[in-house]
Amino acid sequence: MTSVQLEVLLQTIISGIFLGGLYALLAIGMTLIMGVMKIINLAHGELMMVGMYIAYALFSYFQVDPYLSVFIAAPVLFGLGVILQKFLINPVMKVESILPENQVILTVGIGMVLANLATIFFASDYRSTPVSYATKAWYLSDFWKSSPIELSISFPWSVSFLIALLITAILWFFLTKTDLGKSIRATAQDNDAALLMGINVNRMRVITFGLGSSLVGAAGCLFIPIYYLYPDIGGQFTLIAFVITILGGLGSTVGAIVGGLILGIFESLTATYVGMGWAPVGRFIIFIAALIFIPGGIVSLFRKLRFGR
Amino acid sequence: MKKLAPALIIAALAMLPLIGLNTYLLHILIITIMWSIIGMAWNLLGGFCGQVSFGHAAFFGVGAYTSGILYHKLGLSAWWGMPVSIVVVALFALVIGFICLRLRGPFFALGTLAVGVILRITAENLTGITEGNLGIMIRERTWVDKTWYFYIILTLAVLVFILIKKIIGSKLGYYFVAIREDQDAAESLGIDTTFYKTIALCLSAVITGLAGAFYTSYMGYIDPKVVFALHDISIVVIMVVMVGGVATYWGPIIGSAIMVLLAELIRSIPKLGAAHLTLFGLLLIVIIIFLPNGIIGDIPKLKRLLGFRKSL
Amino acid sequence: MKKNALDVLILFLFVLLPSSLLAANLPEIVIPIPLTGQQAKFGEMMKRSYQMAAEEINAKGGIRKQKLVLSFEDSGAKPETARAIVEKLIDSKKQPIIVGEYTSSCAKAVAAVAEERKTPYLIVASADDAITRQNYKYVFRQNAVNAHYADGVIDFFKQVVKPKTIAILYESSAFGTSGADAMVKDAEKLGIKVLLKEKYESGSIDFKPILSKVKAAQPDVLFMVSYVMDASLLMKQIKELRIDVKLFAGGAAGFSIPEFPDNAKDAADYVISATLWTPQLKYPGAKEYAEKYRAKYRDYPSYHGASAYSAIYVLKDTLERAKDYTPEKIRNALKATNIKTAFGPIKFEDKEGYQNQNFNDTLVTQVQKGEFETIWPQRHASKKYVYPIPKWRERR
Repeated sequence: MTSVQLEVLLQTIISGIFLGGLYALLAIGMTLIMGVMKIINLAHGELMMVGMYIAYALFSYFQVDPYLSVFIAAPVLFGLGVILQKFLINPVMKVESILPENQVILTVGIGMVLANLATIFFASDYRSTPVSYATKAWYLSDFWKSSPIELSISFPWSVSFLIALLITAILWFFLTKTDLGKSIRATAQDNDAALLMGINVNRMRVITFGLGSSLVGAAGCLFIPIYYLYPDIGGQFTLIAFVITILGGLGSTVGAIVGGLILGIFESLTATYVGMGWAPVGRFIIFIAALIFIPGGIVSLFRKLRFGR
Repeated sequence: MKKLAPALIIAALAMLPLIGLNTYLLHILIITIMWSIIGMAWNLLGGFCGQVSFGHAAFFGVGAYTSGILYHKLGLSAWWGMPVSIVVVALFALVIGFICLRLRGPFFALGTLAVGVILRITAENLTGITEGNLGIMIRERTWVDKTWYFYIILTLAVLVFILIKKIIGSKLGYYFVAIREDQDAAESLGIDTTFYKTIALCLSAVITGLAGAFYTSYMGYIDPKVVFALHDISIVVIMVVMVGGVATYWGPIIGSAIMVLLAELIRSIPKLGAAHLTLFGLLLIVIIIFLPNGIIGDIPKLKRLLGFRKSL
Repeated sequence: MKKNALDVLILFLFVLLPSSLLAANLPEIVIPIPLTGQQAKFGEMMKRSYQMAAEEINAKGGIRKQKLVLSFEDSGAKPETARAIVEKLIDSKKQPIIVGEYTSSCAKAVAAVAEERKTPYLIVASADDAITRQNYKYVFRQNAVNAHYADGVIDFFKQVVKPKTIAILYESSAFGTSGADAMVKDAEKLGIKVLLKEKYESGSIDFKPILSKVKAAQPDVLFMVSYVMDASLLMKQIKELRIDVKLFAGGAAGFSIPEFPDNAKDAADYVISATLWTPQLKYPGAKEYAEKYRAKYRDYPSYHGASAYSAIYVLKDTLERAKDYTPEKIRNALKATNIKTAFGPIKFEDKEGYQNQNFNDTLVTQVQKGEFETIWPQRHASKKYVYPIPKWRERR
């Protein structure tokens, strides 16, 4: 392998890891919601879009750094999520209907309204937050003068990646160590049993939806320094989140991280060695393979290993 | 009276072009009927058999491209696409069914969703066969006048309606519903669920593919982003059925009237500009909250809401 | 009160009636454009420009002393909807000429209807070559075809850069594909070797894998055809990877709109791009239009807006020359168009296998200090080009 080939390979893997970290945060909100409520939320990307617009508005009117706006976007999205769940989704979930999937239309409708409201308030223009550090990067040759290859690590990508990991760690701690978190996990595992144990399942659903929304809102704030924004941006992110949720296993934070990283690296490698036009095909083939061969997601594989079954 | 209603409606529809309907209304009607066909197809699989597909664009697109490729590569009339697509789409459906039908509930939904996206990107990349993103354009459509298109799609719709009614009334239909209600129970009664689910999927796919093949001849232009669209086709068809009424005969027809006619009406409200989508989205939310089984599915509730007495 | 009403009636009889007897009433012109969905940004820009031109025309007395009334319908970039709108316009509203749409797929759907119904259709910004190669009699296009977008860039390569190798990245759409294919053909003609031709899905987040492949291939020139923000993401990530080639070139669209330097900042410097129009052109009214637009909406418009703005003047000119407002007469008047607009001289020719196609000069811009400067052809240049460009390491 020549040094040029090595450089391409290493750079590809580096970008894959960073991309994967961001994908993971994007999916954690969905994995929580799908885990607890077993619903397909097609408005997921639109909620992220709302988070991005909050970061954008704070940046352009008050010069707030997008990373700081996580602290504002997350609570706002939590509120929005609670309202959506309480007044729209819960009433529909309660009713007995022939197909439980009718909530899908509801989330499509919510997504439509959110995207359209963004068009009305912010116009359909493409927005971005041109932060001063947007193209700052560290280079291997700065640290090692005679390096035969050149690698670079982007500053905003690394910051986004680290914050994403941090948020995930906090969430993991919350879900495993606090009572509220444990109740949420219990609801995800067995709705009826949780009800019998005296857990207020309805309340857990409301909190979960709020939490899921605030996570994806935070993901929006981490995306905007390296990406851009327009009202209809949501759809593509919803799809990516589905893939990782299934790959990682419903309701599992660890699964979402591992799934995100696998997907990120896989996509980068496909882009380099097969062609970028085919990269999304790879994404969905992984998805179907995961659906069929590891229905419990990657976490189920871990569990098997641990229990030696 | 009730027995005559379908015949009367069909007769009334068939008379429409004769009274000189303008081409704009005819276009909207054609699109509405086309959507009700796709809706009926989806309803067969989703509503009666309980397998919610998020990837019907895959079948629509394959049907459309069968027509397009026959015209573009072999120089045949795009109308040959309709008979040929039956075979092609059925083959695709068998393969897709083999992969996806082992999945259940939301997992089946997500699996089909992925299939739809994979087919779109494949069509974009196989430029040698599909011309990729440049799409396929039919130089001259068969008729300028829309009357014939109208009768063709209306005939297809009537045939599909009768076919579905016959199927659901037969033993096959009972198996479908049994699978929807409880797959494991159906299995323990000795119903080969995979076999019957595959039949439902193939029928549903072939009907959708026919609509796709018709679309190519009618619109005269297709590209992967249009005919394999996730939102504009796969999800719209779910809304058509769910808004109209899941597992009812008339649901998809009412649903497509709402999704196409009403959307067009709302879009045409002057001065509303881009905001028409908010209005339409809110309408969808309201319908599903108050009528979770769709308009036809919740007729008694609808009557109550509108203040009719029970005696009516 | 009564007297007032009578006055109005008399006014109506004396002023409006005679003119409407001379020429049939000027119809309201409804323009289909995407106002929702991914393409809405361009729809919005064009809508503003159409309105701006209509207001100017009305302030100066309208068309044959009648006010030009425009309204817009949202097609959402869906071909069925675009077709529905146009069927309605032709059929119910009897509108004798269609103007508008943006995406090539919608323009194709509209063009087919217009041709069938023998109603002239003026395409403003849809670039796919095929639309004006169908032997359509009623379809006119005032923007250049995609195959010619890069003519200026090619000329610049030939005269100045003289590259030996090229790498091409393009987005997966009709626009990106036909732009990249045209570049491959042109490169072969000039004896430039194509080292790499890669497609990507628009909306991609991370281009670094593909860019490190470009870096390894070491082409002389990197040519990219991208929509809107992909362009600035590409340049930002190129800067980050420090890919040094002799020149970065873009094929219009994403590389020629104000969002590009706004978002990519210093990463956009020295990037050249093909474009159909810039505010610095010495066409009559070009500068005034650009400044007026900027004063109202903060940014300069791109060629899409200028084309839309000029389309209304083409419409005015056509309607004034048409003997009456029937589609047939308007079509003949449109065919004979030969005017100078802010978008450049416009006339519709049949050549090179195209019908009713306007061929205007395609230009080359370069981003210098965060602003677009016209650099090629030299007769249109507002600043001299910067070439060779500095390496990323040497930039401050």
